[in-house]
Amino acid sequence: MSETLLDEIRAAKPAAPPALRERVRTIAAHEPARAPFLARFERRRLLLVAPAALVVAVVAAGVIGLSRDDVGGGSDQQAASSGSSRTGVTHSLEAAGSAQDAATASPSAAPSSSAAQAPTTVAPVAGQLQRYQAELSLRLDDVEALSGATKRAQQIAVAHGGSVSSLQYDAPAAGVGTAQIVLRIPTARVQGALAQLAALGTILGQRYGIEDLQQQADSLQTQLEQAERQIAQILAQLGSPTLSDENRAVLQSRLTSARQKLTGLREGLRSTNADARTATVYLTLTTEEIQPASEGGSRLDDIKDVLAWEGIALLYALVVAGPFLLLGLLVWLALRLRRKQVETRLLEQN
Amino acid sequence: MTLPARQPAWSASFAASAEEHLDDVYGYLVYLTRDRSLAEDLTADTFEKALRLWRRFDPARASARTWLCQIARTTALDWFRSEERRQKREERAAPPEQIDTVFADGLSPDIETALAELSAGEREVIALRVLLELDGEEAARVLGISPTAVSTRLSRALRKLEEKVSVHV
Repeated sequence: MSETLLDEIRAAKPAAPPALRERVRTIAAHEPARAPFLARFERRRLLLVAPAALVVAVVAAGVIGLSRDDVGGGSDQQAASSGSSRTGVTHSLEAAGSAQDAATASPSAAPSSSAAQAPTTVAPVAGQLQRYQAELSLRLDDVEALSGATKRAQQIAVAHGGSVSSLQYDAPAAGVGTAQIVLRIPTARVQGALAQLAALGTILGQRYGIEDLQQQADSLQTQLEQAERQIAQILAQLGSPTLSDENRAVLQSRLTSARQKLTGLREGLRSTNADARTATVYLTLTTEEIQPASEGGSRLDDIKDVLAWEGIALLYALVVAGPFLLLGLLVWLALRLRRKQVETRLLEQN
Repeated sequence: MTLPARQPAWSASFAASAEEHLDDVYGYLVYLTRDRSLAEDLTADTFEKALRLWRRFDPARASARTWLCQIARTTALDWFRSEERRQKREERAAPPEQIDTVFADGLSPDIETALAELSAGEREVIALRVLLELDGEEAARVLGISPTAVSTRLSRALRKLEEKVSVHV
């Protein structure tokens, strides 16, 4: 390309006529007030959304994670041990912070020496018919201690007037040894038994349940008395000499039915009383090492959990909105391509 | 004593930019449209649009000249579109107007004729790279293509221009 030609083009650059210059000056004279700083970066503001959302997500996870309650409060215990069990609601208390117990207990301490760590028990209310259940998980130092504790647990149950309902003992030569024992102990003496059982090892977890049986027993007793009155009436009617054979047969049938019902009610009442008299203790003994979790670690785990849930929610939103976003993108690209084609054609034609 | 009206530091920037780049915008539009009268109208339209959009102008993204040329191009393309529609409507009633092309005073008739025979797309790349002396990046930003595509388009346009000039000479 000849430089002369280019120079000529440059030298003959069109200059705006004075009328146009004046026109543009008039336009420029109406210059509006400039928008605030952020308004000049509308597209860039969108770029701030992503990091801002990330910061909000992390802060929210931190706040939620730190404000979570790890351990059930003592109020549950108080409610359970009060007279509120008349309502028939089952109360339970679980020591979720068992790992902390494990952390605070001396690993080298002999099981028998850990009597100081009294279990946080919920006692049945005296004078109330209640079904009482307790779950206790203890850690032992080794298989030898596990064996000793298993025998001792049986002795404790018997010593308190109870019995062993079931026992599963697994102590391999290598690995974790466990024993799962179900004990039936008179409810009146279960607190003492639990205290001794808890002293067998380091408490990993404990859970207590109380179910009110008083209403059920009262109801059975009322039905039983009604059935007895009904039977007495039937017997009285059967004693009448004027009773026809047909009516006698009907009354005999009713008497049989009422007696069967009475038997069932007596059995039910006896069973309910037996349930209330005997508590069930599920005792788990293990030699498994539990890694103590620090307070900070637990909080960090909570924050991680919340972040994970936020991530899942985001992924879900993306999966749902993804097809629409993709469709929108394709439409936008198609329109852009079409506009480019039209522009090219117009520039070719003119 | 009358104090002068207090103005923000940026307040004169649009007027100054308009004054500084008016010839560039006008020259670009003359080359694009081949019509000085039309280019005047489109230049005025361009600065009206630019005034409305001035609050969005970000000097960090492009120079004022590049930004104004982008608006000028959009304005010209809008006009081409509307003109195409108008011609389609009226082509049976009246033949298209013949444009008396004069790009600039001082250009030789051969170059004028050769330029007029180029397409608008070819003329605009010559206007941006030769007349306005934009660099490849700036021209690419105005045209919405890559700098490599600008370079290719420019070399083809100049080769064609040279051929046409040599034919007319």
